Amino acid sequence: MLQYLGLENGVITLILSTLVLALWKMWPTKKWDPRGQFCYVTGGSSGLGLAVAIALTKRGAHVTIVARNEERLAKALAELEKTRQSSNQILRSYSFSLTDADASHAALEAASKDHGNKYPDTVFMCAGAARPGFFVEEDAKSMQKGMDNTYWIQAYTALAYTKQLVRSQTSGKLVFTCSILGYMSLIGYSTYSPGKHALRGLAESLRSELILYNSSVHIMFSGNIDSPGYVEENRTKPKITLEIESTDKPTAPDVLAKELINGVQRGDFHIAPDMLSNIIRSSTTGATPHHNVLLDVLYALIGWIGLPLWRRGVDSTVLKHRKEHKDYLATRGFFKSTD
Amino acid sequence: MLGRLWAKSWDPKGKHCYVTGGSSGLGLAVAKLLVLKGAHVSIVSRNAQRLESAMKELETVRTSPNQILKSYSYDLITATGAREALDAVCEPHQRRNPDAIFMLAGSCHPRFFIEETEETMKTQMDQTYWVQAWTALEASKRMVRDKSKGKIVFHSAYIGYITLVGYAAYGPGRMAIRALADTLRQEFLLYDIDIHIAFPGTMYTPGYDIENATKPKITLKIEETDPGVTGDQYAKGLLRGVQSGDFHISPDLLGNIFRASMRGVAPSSNFFVDSLWNFIGWVGLPIWRMTVDSTVKGHRKEHEEYLSNKGFYSSSNKSFSQ
Repeated sequence: MLQYLGLENGVITLILSTLVLALWKMWPTKKWDPRGQFCYVTGGSSGLGLAVAIALTKRGAHVTIVARNEERLAKALAELEKTRQSSNQILRSYSFSLTDADASHAALEAASKDHGNKYPDTVFMCAGAARPGFFVEEDAKSMQKGMDNTYWIQAYTALAYTKQLVRSQTSGKLVFTCSILGYMSLIGYSTYSPGKHALRGLAESLRSELILYNSSVHIMFSGNIDSPGYVEENRTKPKITLEIESTDKPTAPDVLAKELINGVQRGDFHIAPDMLSNIIRSSTTGATPHHNVLLDVLYALIGWIGLPLWRRGVDSTVLKHRKEHKDYLATRGFFKSTD
Repeated sequence: MLGRLWAKSWDPKGKHCYVTGGSSGLGLAVAKLLVLKGAHVSIVSRNAQRLESAMKELETVRTSPNQILKSYSYDLITATGAREALDAVCEPHQRRNPDAIFMLAGSCHPRFFIEETEETMKTQMDQTYWVQAWTALEASKRMVRDKSKGKIVFHSAYIGYITLVGYAAYGPGRMAIRALADTLRQEFLLYDIDIHIAFPGTMYTPGYDIENATKPKITLKIEETDPGVTGDQYAKGLLRGVQSGDFHISPDLLGNIFRASMRGVAPSSNFFVDSLWNFIGWVGLPIWRMTVDSTVKGHRKEHEEYLSNKGFYSSSNKSFSQ
């Protein structure tokens, strides 16, 4: 009799816990609210950064955007002003080159002056650029630039911000923006995916380390973004890479901005804005916290079968491209070069 | 996958193998193993003294008088250094490109992120990423230009899969080199160059002592139960992986679990065995992570005292470089 009761309890517990697991994290709990917060957005003058800045302004945040180009910053600030919700919102822009460590620090200092020397509550690092190409056509300059425009451009901001957070013993939030190419790589991205993977490494180490300080970190992994940056990137992208990517439509920046903010509100560490990024995320989880465990198992199962098939298809496309590639290198005088 | 069972194993005998970081630790262990298997071996590192004693060790395992064993002192963290080293290495071989390049140079300097500076972060990226990327770039250009067949072997680490507190500068570099290897594996299907990348964990080498000199106490505590191997032990597994044609090489239990859990799009040598490792990781790694997180949380007060003693809270806001 007792045994029977025990079994029943066990089954009930199993069903309940399965339900809890299934429902866990399915609804945004809306803990984080940008209203009244001081939000700092790098790369905020165009593309994803501008979309994030606008979305934050609409939600009542104080927003400071930082980028290099003053003209674009002025235009962007004008757009933010159009979506101003209240006269109290502090909306500012600053021109700094964030691939430089000192400039990244100076930018935060300048921005803090508008808030009584207080550093931002949340830092959205949306700055970055890609310049795909064949590895054998890269050189020291293009490789360095690739790492600067993917990794250092966010890492220096993260360093300056985190140091100040800890020094002043306040809590804050870091939001990195990464790419599916931070989870895996593809032909043509040898100057881009290393820096994006490096951002993942930084975010992962920080998630662990920030437990010491009661601050938090998030990182979004998006596919191609329908932005001026994407147009620029495609001008020099190898044909084979374009061909492989042809089935992926780029996503509008405002859609991604919404996903980013929702992800931060849900408390997701890795923010995956669509089905594909969720599948890849769940296929390269490592020790990264899951979202909803049952959903993640589903994504992982799809990836378990789907990703190797996709990869084989791409590898096959690359193999077929050998002759065309040899001709391409020959016309560019590659086989004649002595360096 | 089945085809690989009958694939001929790569034989280093008579081949020219170029080993960076070949004067100590894993690099020296791999160099010795290659000499034992009959390869011509060139080793490059910075320290001339260490190179000299390394050469003596290589000579003791020479199997034939025809083996060309050479050493050169170069700093590989610049493109120029990598290029000049390759020029030197190819010289005794009629300027022919090496048949295999084992890039094992590098070092690890863990510390708390807030104690990093621009300089320390750049040095760490140099010692994990650039020290291999430049050699890969220079070698690839030559091998493609000359239409030579060959192998390029990268190395990362467990931390290139899964990272934790203390590795905020090291983890990025280890993950970046994994990304480069992943990109080149696919891109070099255009050429006759094979890519491999090894992921060692704890290895009892001189590098390990250097690493532990700066490693935060909390990181040491979390890692204290990690099993370790000697450079010689790992070298055997590494070479076996290269000979079998494995892309990601992880010849140990934890390495396999990490690799399979982080597999993403990378090809695996055995789909079914890897699925098993993946499943073990799926269950085990979250438990590991939650335990580690709990340990870190429990360390807060001690960490606050540590920072206080180092004068961190009173250091000037302006002093970014400290």
